Amino acid sequence: MPAKPHRILLNRVSVYADEAAAFMRRRRISRRPFARLYYPHGRSADHAQDSSSGAELFVAAGRLIEVAGRKEKG
Amino acid sequence: MTTVMIQEARARVTVGIFADMPDAVAAARPSGESAEAALAFLTEMSPDLRGAAILGPDGELLAATGEEPERWREDAAALFVAADGAEDVPVEQMHIATEQGEVFAVRNAGLAAVTVTDRFALASLMLFDMGSTLRRLASSDFGPPEGPHPRRGD
Repeated sequence: MPAKPHRILLNRVSVYADEAAAFMRRRRISRRPFARLYYPHGRSADHAQDSSSGAELFVAAGRLIEVAGRKEKG
Repeated sequence: MTTVMIQEARARVTVGIFADMPDAVAAARPSGESAEAALAFLTEMSPDLRGAAILGPDGELLAATGEEPERWREDAAALFVAADGAEDVPVEQMHIATEQGEVFAVRNAGLAAVTVTDRFALASLMLFDMGSTLRRLASSDFGPPEGPHPRRGD
């Protein structure tokens, strides 16, 4: 007996929702701290947190985050 | 294919044109009021924004959110020193993502903007908005910040 049309639609929607949730989960896990600098002519360079230049950048960024404080919700 | 070759050549030439095109430099130091208006504009455009500051050509603070403008100036200066020192080349833009939030900085037209956002802010949009705000600030004084467009009947 063929599945009812509304059942097919519901299954489809839940599959998309599962995919989206998995994508968000992977994104959060894979998104490690990073420092990326962009130079003229489109060149960019990543600096690891454990390198000396990266450490300085993270310290400076941390201070700025502290100054900015938390956003008031609502 | 001819079409592909033409498109490739066009892309190559176009990149060259933009690479050689210098950014406009602020004719005069923007006033504090116009910088405040630019900051309000940037804040309104970016829902993820927690705080921001705009710096003048000599690193002086033109506008900042919050109650500690002096700290914004010092910490932004320290960030640019660290970034420029990484390869001994002045950086144009930077994006630093940490567990606590994300920091963006842009230099354009002799001015600089630094913003702090929530995590996972859209980097390309953020950097584009900051760059365009600085360009507008440099080219002419910002008027009063643009509010939402009035609807009919309001």
